[in-house]
Amino acid sequence: MSVWLQVIWAAAALNVVLLLGLSYVWGRNYAKFRSKHTLGLAAFGLILLAENALAVYIFYFHPELSQWIAAQAPIAHLAVGGLRLLELVALAFLAWVTWD
Amino acid sequence: MDGVLWYVLTGTRGGENRVRILRTLDERPRNANKLAEALELDYTTVRHHLDVLCDNDVLRKQGGDYGAVYLPTDRARQHWETVEQIMEQVE
Repeated sequence: MSVWLQVIWAAAALNVVLLLGLSYVWGRNYAKFRSKHTLGLAAFGLILLAENALAVYIFYFHPELSQWIAAQAPIAHLAVGGLRLLELVALAFLAWVTWD
Repeated sequence: MDGVLWYVLTGTRGGENRVRILRTLDERPRNANKLAEALELDYTTVRHHLDVLCDNDVLRKQGGDYGAVYLPTDRARQHWETVEQIMEQVE
């Protein structure tokens, strides 16, 4: 497994951890407030959680796909990881303001 | 302002306690100590929430350092409908 592939799945795994925390806070707030806003946040958290769980599966448990992408188009492999890392930075900021 | 109120009061971990603080201060302005007593919350927790609410221009401080009382800002008053809508859901 290439180092970059490890970076990608580690970022996806960290995203899963952050989104579990965010979904917990937003889910609890939805249970309390029952408003459109809290429902929207809770749904957003759960859907992005599913997206990242799928990414962990693809990059870690099913690495053939990303190895194929890496072999066919190295630049695409690089871009896919870059997107995941940017998502991690964005979620870290969101968790920072939400866990407050 | 509405977006800030929604997020600070219903999007965060401490939102519920901030709603309780806001409701108690709406009855009458109090200092951090009295507020902690009234809500049976830890003093440092109350101070933290007060700082967050002041930082977001929802509350303002009035009076000297020790025993300064907190009350809703004019800006928060202009959006009080939203605050009431949120407060209805807590207790």
